[in-house]
Amino acid sequence: MITQDSGYIMQLQNMSVNDGEGIRTNIFLAGCPMTCPWCSNPEGQTLINPMTKITTVDEVVTFVKKQMLFYRYSGGGVTFSGGEATVQAEFLRSMTNAFYDRGISLAIETCGAFAFPVVKDILAKMDTIFIDIKHMDPVQHKKWTGYALNPILENICSVDTLQSNLVIRVPLIVGVNADEENLVAILNFLRNNLRKPQIEFLPYHTYGEEKYRQLGKALPDVNFHTPTEEEQNLAIKLACAFGVEVVSYR
Amino acid sequence: MLTERIENIRQNYVNAKPAISTERAYIWTQSHMKTAGKATCIRRAQAFYDTCAQLSVHIFEGELIVGAIGEFRKCGILTPEFSWKWVDKEMEHFADRPQDPYVMTKEQCDFVRKEIFPYWQGKSLEEAFLARIPTETAKIGVDTSIIDSDSKWRQAVGEVTPDYQDVLFPKGFGGIIKDAQEKIKKLTATSTDDLAKKDFYDSIILTSQGIILYAHRYADAAENLAKVLPEDSERRAELIEIAAICRKVPENPPTTFKEAMQFVWFTQVGGIISENPLSLNPGRFDQYMYPYYQKDVAEGKITQVEAQERIEALWLKYSDWVWTISANTADYFAGYNQFQNLTIGGKTRKGLDATNDLTYMCMKATAEAKTHQPGLSVRVHADCPQEFLGAVTELVSQGTGFPAIHNDSVGYQMLLNAGYEQEDARDWNNCGCVVPHYRKTGEWTAAVNVNFGSALEYALNQGKSNMTGKKMGLCEKAAKDFITYDEVEKAFYKQFDNLCKHAIILTITAQRIHQEMVPRPFLSSTIEACIEDGRDLSMGGAKYNIGPVITGIGLAVVANSLAVIKKLIFTDAVCTMEELASAVNNNWVGYEALRTKAQAVPKYGNDDDYVDTIALEIANHYYKEIHQYKDIFDAPFNTAFMGISNYIPMGRVLGSTPDGRLAGEPSSEGVSPYVGTDHGTPLAAMRSAAKINQEIHSGGTLLNLRLNHDLVATKRGQANLGAMIQAFFALGAFHVQFNTISSKVLRAAQAKPEAYKDLLVRVAGYSTQFVNLSKSMQDAIIARTEHGEL
Repeated sequence: MITQDSGYIMQLQNMSVNDGEGIRTNIFLAGCPMTCPWCSNPEGQTLINPMTKITTVDEVVTFVKKQMLFYRYSGGGVTFSGGEATVQAEFLRSMTNAFYDRGISLAIETCGAFAFPVVKDILAKMDTIFIDIKHMDPVQHKKWTGYALNPILENICSVDTLQSNLVIRVPLIVGVNADEENLVAILNFLRNNLRKPQIEFLPYHTYGEEKYRQLGKALPDVNFHTPTEEEQNLAIKLACAFGVEVVSYR
Repeated sequence: MLTERIENIRQNYVNAKPAISTERAYIWTQSHMKTAGKATCIRRAQAFYDTCAQLSVHIFEGELIVGAIGEFRKCGILTPEFSWKWVDKEMEHFADRPQDPYVMTKEQCDFVRKEIFPYWQGKSLEEAFLARIPTETAKIGVDTSIIDSDSKWRQAVGEVTPDYQDVLFPKGFGGIIKDAQEKIKKLTATSTDDLAKKDFYDSIILTSQGIILYAHRYADAAENLAKVLPEDSERRAELIEIAAICRKVPENPPTTFKEAMQFVWFTQVGGIISENPLSLNPGRFDQYMYPYYQKDVAEGKITQVEAQERIEALWLKYSDWVWTISANTADYFAGYNQFQNLTIGGKTRKGLDATNDLTYMCMKATAEAKTHQPGLSVRVHADCPQEFLGAVTELVSQGTGFPAIHNDSVGYQMLLNAGYEQEDARDWNNCGCVVPHYRKTGEWTAAVNVNFGSALEYALNQGKSNMTGKKMGLCEKAAKDFITYDEVEKAFYKQFDNLCKHAIILTITAQRIHQEMVPRPFLSSTIEACIEDGRDLSMGGAKYNIGPVITGIGLAVVANSLAVIKKLIFTDAVCTMEELASAVNNNWVGYEALRTKAQAVPKYGNDDDYVDTIALEIANHYYKEIHQYKDIFDAPFNTAFMGISNYIPMGRVLGSTPDGRLAGEPSSEGVSPYVGTDHGTPLAAMRSAAKINQEIHSGGTLLNLRLNHDLVATKRGQANLGAMIQAFFALGAFHVQFNTISSKVLRAAQAKPEAYKDLLVRVAGYSTQFVNLSKSMQDAIIARTEHGEL
């Protein structure tokens, strides 16, 4: 049951170092309004499945408290991820408040599919907000993610009014969105709409395949490809040409 | 970038097989034949002098720092006065033994059997020890891997740090001679005490004269070599400079960086030929060398590049000396390791940050020359410069296992706990692998290893060894008759305390014999209080005589095993004590389902209090038990959970254990988790290890972790590693060390050793060339849990 005291968690992962500053604990919340077929965490696409578990806020706080010293020395903290963390908004809010009051630096990784007014108070407590853009063509976006593009873009603009550090993440998938036309469209949007546009490219990977097997799901399309080093560099170059800062948490 | 000269020397170091020189042993023996009847310290000093006078002189190609211990560039020597029997038994197999092989020819074997060993028959330290050790102690304490102290009666003690700061550099050996002569003038011939002092002073005068003579012989040789070279050749100029340096030091205080460097090596040579010591530590090199470096750079006498080259030349000198040890000892100290620990960073005696240019140059030398010596240790304090921490983690990322990273303040606390004055405690350096130590000290830092697993085995097996069925422990009732967990724990501690008692007996027996038979004049002359008070190191002449360190092996195995007993039998009632005992006696064969359950019980190293608390209690008990005993100087014994490779032989004699470990598999090292059972992150392993009250274990504690190289491949990853280290230290831990080479690379090196000759890896508390490890040791390293990027 999702309440303010508990919710569905896929995993609590200490020593995460790629989703924000320093050494972090990633909290993977289950449930997602999108249905991207390349998802690396397919167990997060639904709330309830063999790989998710009801977890209380207290349990999460107990787990996280043991890591405080590592956050302190590294400038790290907690990153909410998923799934889509905002799906379980009440649960997310309780955790956010509990950590915020303990002075833990917070970040969230979101697909941007949320009702901004409902989660604004939560997002305002984040030091860093990662929002994905999967495609800039509304038709393609709907086709791949099952979700409309426009609300995502509107939410990005809304989040940009908060004080948090905003980073746009683009999963680079050859065969879906890594073409120059799409990248140009994304970069144009960022340049024209954000105060301080920042982008991080995440090359597609297949590390999640084992989870597909465990869930009895068909593996992602073999026509999804990881971009070559060269293709990644082209994307980076393009972003620079548009005056969009390329960041990396590698 | 290495200079061409250093690269050439390095190539020889990487490719040459170490060879045994019999010169020192021969001269030593000849000398003893002539000095019968004199005081033992005088005989040993005379033998040292004669060796210095007669050892063949070798200035190898391209050398800037000179001084050889034998005719081979990569060389080991024999010390028959400690033990010749194992050499006699093993030398034909030196070349083909799995761990640390040496070259020794048939002619050499014949020679030592004819010219050297007959003299030492009945006169060696080993023979005296074996003659005196009580039968009961010998049964579990001689070549059993239950309690093991063989390096203290088949070898010299070593474990000393020459005092460059207050003795050697300010006085020179010439000054030491003068001091001794002045002291002798004040002695009276009618006082028994003074007669002993007279012998001591005479002995250090002889050794000082010996090392000066040795240096002068190198000056002569350098001059002779120079003479035949063309006037304008670079090497000629170098040789002339070398000759001038050897003429001046170590007789006189050095005044330049180059002289100080050569002085350090001559002192090391003196230590080596005096007793072939383990852990003859260069100490706080960046501190005592810096004034010379700073002055010479300011005056334009040396450039940073030249100084760097000389540091690397010294590193190669340290590495070309090979500690000659028995196959048994080599199991415990695998990898040609001499444990010359060189400590950098930390705080000054006053409490200021101590880092300087040399601190960084030392790390650079290790990164570039990739030598397994010196054992490079860093002291990290809470407010150390970020550049320093950055350099440390960058070196870690290169995968050599260096540096050993130590918590400055815990080292300080460990010394305070051992009774040091605060300024001295702040000036600590490492000894051997991870022992906090100080230069004005006499101690045995690796006196005995105690196999914790054996104590548990005897508790559960009516005092008998699982592997041999022989009764090795105290009597105990059958395991099935234990009714409560407390009873099991009590039975364990009963056996445990008995092993501790025998460890003490082994040590004090050896200490007494060392006093009688192997006084240490040369090394005593490098220690301030020995000169001041006229007493040898072996007689307690140092300012601090710290109680011997007993090292516990298998903390994780025993904690995990007790947790299994507690949970499966007395909490969850999953099985009976009888079943578990039977499973263990049958090496789990036929009990696979139970083994799976045992493996699922919480394991130490995952930040789970259920089992970590048991480990903590064992460690606390260990400290109390050992600390109540006093050594021959009335100093309380100390505890350690340090490394070396002892967890492998100690596992070999251990039957299977309730934690699910199979018979003969390695035990656990230091405060590290058992291999493969730390399923969480390194942070969890760190938190578990830090629960042990590390500061009371003054003999040092050790945590080895493997990290996926990707994690530290970037600057940002290294910064996070730095934060991890500082957080770990904030938790109160003393030491951590990382292997960052992937299993893939290690397997490739196993398959194709010739392509990976310079691959250094962390063993336990020290690094060595991977290809120089036996297959079983290599496998143990590969098996360590690799913490990947998450």
